[in-house]
Amino acid sequence: MELAKIESLLERYFEGNTSLYEEQELRSFFSEGTVPTHLAVYKPIFMSFEMAGEETLSKEINLPSPQKRSNYWKLGIAASLLVCLGIAGYMFSNSGLSLEEQEALAAFKKTQETMLMFSQNFNQGTASLTHLGELENGISSLQVLNEFNESKNLILK
Amino acid sequence: MNQKEFLATVLPYKDKLYRVAKRLLVSSEEAEDAVQEVFLKLWKGKERIKNYKSSEAFAVTMTKNYCLDRLKSKQAGNLKIVHSNFQHSDNLQRTVEANDGVQLVFKIMETLPEKQRLVLQLRDVEQFDFNEISEMLEMNETAIRVTLSRARKAVREQLLKQYNYGIS
Repeated sequence: MELAKIESLLERYFEGNTSLYEEQELRSFFSEGTVPTHLAVYKPIFMSFEMAGEETLSKEINLPSPQKRSNYWKLGIAASLLVCLGIAGYMFSNSGLSLEEQEALAAFKKTQETMLMFSQNFNQGTASLTHLGELENGISSLQVLNEFNESKNLILK
Repeated sequence: MNQKEFLATVLPYKDKLYRVAKRLLVSSEEAEDAVQEVFLKLWKGKERIKNYKSSEAFAVTMTKNYCLDRLKSKQAGNLKIVHSNFQHSDNLQRTVEANDGVQLVFKIMETLPEKQRLVLQLRDVEQFDFNEISEMLEMNETAIRVTLSRARKAVREQLLKQYNYGIS
């Protein structure tokens, strides 16, 4: 390519008036080694643009995986169902009584039993008291002795 | 749009987006994070992609906005990490010489205002045409040409200055 053309292209290049095609011409001219010394200063400019365009992203792009999210959703429902079942089962097994009520009931039953035992023993005690009645009989029969004494005294007088 | 279709649409831009992000943020790690974030945002707003003339322009605009926000919030200063690992080799001697100049150009680009850096990146590196750039940067074509011309001249001027220092 003639030097004059390159020089005029360069001039327009720095004014921002070159087309993409013309800029490509400039780039290939300056990458081809044989650059006259008075234009050598432009070489690193075009070379650096070329090099800058060769850099690539080395890191992987991570996006949130949609597959995983839907699994969590199902897992959540399963877990809440399990919790509901657990609570329901617990409620039904205790026939609607709370722990406090159950304890109260147990205490009541125990007291009832104790009272029953107590009253039974008490009854036994009273039963043994019937012997007292016999003592009274004995005493009354002793009164016959008194009468005997009385009549004996009469005779002795 | 499912994930497969989404990735088929936007994954081809990932390197471009990375280079644009790196031109602005300079650090490659910051640029990698930026691309990841932009992809997440694109994925969340995937329904909106269809409303844009080109999904590529939309992705570039998002990257640009994200990086400018990053720069604002980080106050830019902490991010200036000079990075220089380019692999190139044919004639070693020539490459070394040229690389000095190339490294210089990269350093000069880092000193340019953000808008000039962006226009230079999109035009001279990614080779988009002016109406694409105008959609990406939300600027009119004339403004883009003016910014581009300033950026190119600034690079040349500083390069010449450095070379003259080197010679004298």
